[in-house]
Amino acid sequence: MAINKNSNAYIIIYTVVMVVIVGALLAFLATSLKPMQDANVLNEQKVSIMKAFGEADASFDEVVTMGRLVGGEFVAVDSEDKADVQAVFDILGNRKELAEAQDALPIFQLEKEGVVKYVLPIVGKGLWGDIWGYVALQQGEDNVVITGIVMDHAGETPGLGAEIATENWQKKFEGKQLYNAAGEFAVRMQKGGAQNEHQVDAITGGTKTCDGVNAMLANSIGKYESFLRGAAVEAEADTEECACCCEECDVESINE
Amino acid sequence: MSIMKLSKNFTNPLAANNPVIVQILGICSALAVTVKLEPAFVMGISVTFVCAFANLIMSLLRTGVPSRIRIIVQLVVIATLVIVVDQFLRAFMYDVSKQLSVYVGLIITNCIVMGRVEAFALGNKPWDAFVDGIANGFGYAFILVLVAFFRELFGSGTLFGFDVLACFGYVNNSLMLFPPMALIIVGVIIWVHRSINKDLQEK
Repeated sequence: MAINKNSNAYIIIYTVVMVVIVGALLAFLATSLKPMQDANVLNEQKVSIMKAFGEADASFDEVVTMGRLVGGEFVAVDSEDKADVQAVFDILGNRKELAEAQDALPIFQLEKEGVVKYVLPIVGKGLWGDIWGYVALQQGEDNVVITGIVMDHAGETPGLGAEIATENWQKKFEGKQLYNAAGEFAVRMQKGGAQNEHQVDAITGGTKTCDGVNAMLANSIGKYESFLRGAAVEAEADTEECACCCEECDVESINE
Repeated sequence: MSIMKLSKNFTNPLAANNPVIVQILGICSALAVTVKLEPAFVMGISVTFVCAFANLIMSLLRTGVPSRIRIIVQLVVIATLVIVVDQFLRAFMYDVSKQLSVYVGLIITNCIVMGRVEAFALGNKPWDAFVDGIANGFGYAFILVLVAFFRELFGSGTLFGFDVLACFGYVNNSLMLFPPMALIIVGVIIWVHRSINKDLQEK
């Protein structure tokens, strides 16, 4: 008896068998390739962090100290403890979790020629989707200074908002000071051009993306504020000591 | 099938019946991934792979597929192959897979693949269908690489990432990097192609 290929029974059996075969095939493929894909993602995170540090040629594993900020204190992660290291990268890869995290915040430290730099992950929303990246900070004389930033985006408008992912625009953030004279977080992308040492030119036509970047910087860096300020206070304490003994410094600190 | 007909099946999609410049299919990805040669090249290979194996598999299944759900079956086969390509790119060519981003997934909607399956594979033997798939994939890849060649050369002054024009003092024309320029180059290619093949010209 010939099979009626247009009968409902044949069609249902045909689809079920097809779906089972395809499902099994794809599940096997995805599972077997996952370790390599994860390694690629991990490597990309490390490269991004090294780019933020401005040390693109150095090896992450050799020079960077990974850590978490627990209750405002830097707690180093044991680089031998593979599971713990992976846990830090997992949270970096999970942007939603990272945005909501309030404690145990990931932070990376690099010490070179006596200068300590920190890299923090930043995450936020642009116009069309997520934006994220890493910002490198360094303790300046009396302020915290951005030494490098890398940003990426899921789907900002090419040529407009997507410019935040270009090196050209990211360079503009270098040397910007985090806090203004009133002690407020002041780094922002400013429409009409940067007015002071805190601001960065905004992208014409990319206002919504720039607003997203502003919010991202304020929120993400804000979570590290007590830690960053702790470092700033130490530095300020030094200048105040100096102020007691020399009038010029006094004038300077008032001006600030 | 004679060797003659097979070789005609193979060469036809490369020029006289090219899927991109004659049938005007797959233009969307031709605009998007042709900024640099490398992603264009990988995209061409990926589409060739998907097209060839979708044709092969559908041709093998052609007697058993219920005609009422044949489009769905085609979609499942094509989507599966695309996911296979996507997973492999992510595992072995991560940078390229990032550049191609959504366009790998969009191979599913590339009219060339489904068009060849529906028009050719369902009515022909597996080997012929496989050759047809490869030929159409190459026809697509050839145009992609051609467009990417001009865009990368004049837009970035490089080829496959190597500096070519920098030493001649060439100033990069960033207009070449924008999608409209791909459309213009495709248009110019079609123009040249039709002025050579007069029988393609519309009266």
